[in-house]
Amino acid sequence: MADLLPQDAHPDAAKLEGMAHADQYSYYMPETYAFRSEKGLTKRVVEQISYQKNEPEWMLKFRLRALEIAEKKGRPKWGPDLSHLNFDEIYFYIRPQDKKGTNSWDDVPEEVRETYRKLGIPEAEQKMLAGVGAQYESEMVYHNLKEEWEKQGVIFLDSDTGLQQYPELFKEHFATVVPPEDNYFAAVNSAVWSGGSFVYVPAGVEIDVPLQAYFLINAQSMGQFERTLIIGEPGSRFHYIEGCTAPTYNSDSFHSGVIEIIVKERANVRYSTIQNWSHNVYNLVTQRAIVQRHGSMGWLDGNLGSKVTMKYPSTYLMGEGAHGEVLSIAFATDGQHQDAGAKVIHAAPNTTSSVVSKSISKGTGRSSYRGLVQIHEGATNARSNVECDALLLDDQAKTDTYPYIEINEKSAHVGHEATVSKLNDEQIFYLQSRGLPEDAAMALIVRGFLDPVAKELPLEYAVELNRLIELEMEGSVG
Amino acid sequence: MAQLKDNAAVTEAAVDALIARFEEPAWLAEERRAALRTYAATPHPTNRDEVWRYTQLERFAIDGLELVDGPLDASVVDRVSMRLTDSDAEAAMVIKNGEVVQRAGSVGERGVVFTDLRTAVREHEALVREHLYTVVNATMSKAAALDAALWTNGTFLYVPRDVEVALPLGTFTTADRGGLSAGRTLIVVDVNAKVTFVDEYTSEPLGERLAHHAATEIVLKDGAKLRYVSLQNWSREVVQQNKIRARLARDARLESLTVSLGGDAARAEVEVDLEGPGSESEMLGLYFADEGQHYNQYTLQHHATDHALSDLLFKGALRDASTAVYSGVIVVDPGAQKTDAYQTNRNLLLDDESEAVSIPQLEIQANDVKCSHGSTTGPVPEDQRFYLMSRGLRPEVAEHVLVTGFLYEVMSRVTLPKVSEYVERVVQAKLGVPGVKEKL
Repeated sequence: MADLLPQDAHPDAAKLEGMAHADQYSYYMPETYAFRSEKGLTKRVVEQISYQKNEPEWMLKFRLRALEIAEKKGRPKWGPDLSHLNFDEIYFYIRPQDKKGTNSWDDVPEEVRETYRKLGIPEAEQKMLAGVGAQYESEMVYHNLKEEWEKQGVIFLDSDTGLQQYPELFKEHFATVVPPEDNYFAAVNSAVWSGGSFVYVPAGVEIDVPLQAYFLINAQSMGQFERTLIIGEPGSRFHYIEGCTAPTYNSDSFHSGVIEIIVKERANVRYSTIQNWSHNVYNLVTQRAIVQRHGSMGWLDGNLGSKVTMKYPSTYLMGEGAHGEVLSIAFATDGQHQDAGAKVIHAAPNTTSSVVSKSISKGTGRSSYRGLVQIHEGATNARSNVECDALLLDDQAKTDTYPYIEINEKSAHVGHEATVSKLNDEQIFYLQSRGLPEDAAMALIVRGFLDPVAKELPLEYAVELNRLIELEMEGSVG
Repeated sequence: MAQLKDNAAVTEAAVDALIARFEEPAWLAEERRAALRTYAATPHPTNRDEVWRYTQLERFAIDGLELVDGPLDASVVDRVSMRLTDSDAEAAMVIKNGEVVQRAGSVGERGVVFTDLRTAVREHEALVREHLYTVVNATMSKAAALDAALWTNGTFLYVPRDVEVALPLGTFTTADRGGLSAGRTLIVVDVNAKVTFVDEYTSEPLGERLAHHAATEIVLKDGAKLRYVSLQNWSREVVQQNKIRARLARDARLESLTVSLGGDAARAEVEVDLEGPGSESEMLGLYFADEGQHYNQYTLQHHATDHALSDLLFKGALRDASTAVYSGVIVVDPGAQKTDAYQTNRNLLLDDESEAVSIPQLEIQANDVKCSHGSTTGPVPEDQRFYLMSRGLRPEVAEHVLVTGFLYEVMSRVTLPKVSEYVERVVQAKLGVPGVKEKL
């Protein structure tokens, strides 16, 4: 196994190799909480959350309205099976410590750092990475942002602090991209949201090093409802990265985030996320970007973990010449259902979009691509292309493709292609003939299949992705 | 949101009246009554149902329409007789408002049964009973239940083992007034037999609204081969819902073509169950919507067995604020290894007011498969138009040539010259090519 690592692997990679899969994901730290809401989703819980956060009046009203909308809407009747997701067993708000985010690594509580160390994530990476906002349960506890960015006016805070410190900027943009009416889970999130990132990049500011936030869940049966708001002013350029890793617990956990991104004129924003929630988490996320004239939005969406994921990053191309791009990878193993995809809405002339989806199903895993391409009348010369490739590793695995294509404009050019295939026996045979064991050959082919997506990731994420795939491929022979 | 309403004429008494009038055997009477119960128990579709999401349901409404019982007169009008003389069919039948009004030609091959369904119930009861409702039944949809309860007549075609029928056969379904009607086709091709059959739907302008329901059941036994064409060119007052479904046994081969050109709105469901290894299904579709027409095409390629092949190509053009929906799914069951399944939908948009929706879907539960689908939608390619104009063609002529060429890809795979000619003529009339008349 270890000799398969690339020569230039991350220094921590070897360390992690020695650790069994179970050790990495199957522990949890003792729980100490400053406040924990009662179980279930009720008006009282929503009021408690708002009170605990000392929020302005309008936010409380917003939350309560969202709760009403959620109760009225009910759960979606399509898509994966959510019948085992029981809200009455979930804590909708937990604050780990009565302490706000900090700028110093030393101030981060020991048990939180221990969690990070076991996951092998940020201690080494923080040296390379410019800013780390780590979310431990529902609050940001660690924040670091390079000083020069602050001088340029960049804001990178947890959303709760963002609301307190920049109330007007926050209110102006909050829920304008994903209103609570949008869908059931967005409404639930709007009622109980907590944490997430607030990113504001002023006009013309370009940031070369990605902004990163790590999210973790730790308390049993606890929902995590982060709310991320990202604003790229005209001509700005930046890359935001979010990764999720959760330890394994006994009862089902629930994660339902809302990510809102506003890409103003000529701005260029990338949002990358690789989720690796433990296999009992319901991961139901709404991600959406609005792109104005000549702006560009790129999503990289990786779905490896969770029990059920429903996530379809969407891009609304509202201004002439706007561009949207989605790279999506999904890896479904035993018992997992990755229902991922992408939506692109062309509402202005000369807009372009591209979606590339790669999915792998293994064991009893099921991966689905669910997508929408919509071309509105008047969006002249819009162009969109969608490609979905699915790889099935064994005979119980399943894959689905549900692309919706709605075209209302004569001059639009829209294409969609999908293929489904299995691992190529000849390729495995060739690699074996060159001395690779069968599982290593399979892992190598899978990595090659995902390569077009992996190469878009920063190095340390690409290394991590490869590591995760090798872990998933372990024992796939026999 | 459109909410469909019940039709007061669809009652137990109406079904009983049909049973009495046709003097039907008890088993069929019971099938009809059961289908009516299913119909009553099935809710009307709404746009919240995934398979009806893009359908303009109100256009398929049946409330207020009277049941059509027989033609006003038995004459075969110009349009139909012209089609009769100009068809590829060696033997043909004209069914008007549910009654056979003309039979032409005869089938030379031994043992072949080609007659109307009501006659077949009397003269070939065992054969009909064995197969009727085994492919399309009342539980499949509200419209299928309506058809199962209320069909008045249709085609029965049986080709015995090892018999190859050389020339095509056909039925022309027509009408001379509005209302609510239902017809049914049952085709059984026995072991290693082979036949070509054309179902055509056409009428002169009716002056009133007709909602026609059709169900086509196809049973292909081991090694059987069928070329099946469904050609819908109703006048503009007609809405049609048609479910065409086939079951293919080992090494059977179905070549189907579904053409939608006429009517106000039409929904065609084309479905195959590949049940025997080695079975193959080629599924072609062609639609051209103009003047606000609304077409729905739903397809299913169900691979229930290993080593089967299905290959689907549906192409459509749209103009004058028309709408078309293509929605198709390839379903590969667990264990259906070595499946080859392909699905392609291409749409040509000729104006900005028209709308095309394309939903090609895959549900794959076996891993050793080759499956792909593709969908494209776009305008007439500018460079091709420019090329033709540079050779001296006027812009509208260039467009006629390119649209015809686009749709011709489908027709070129069908070896029925008269059908191809006719489709081309209707397409040209729709395009407004000077001197071409065949548009209603």
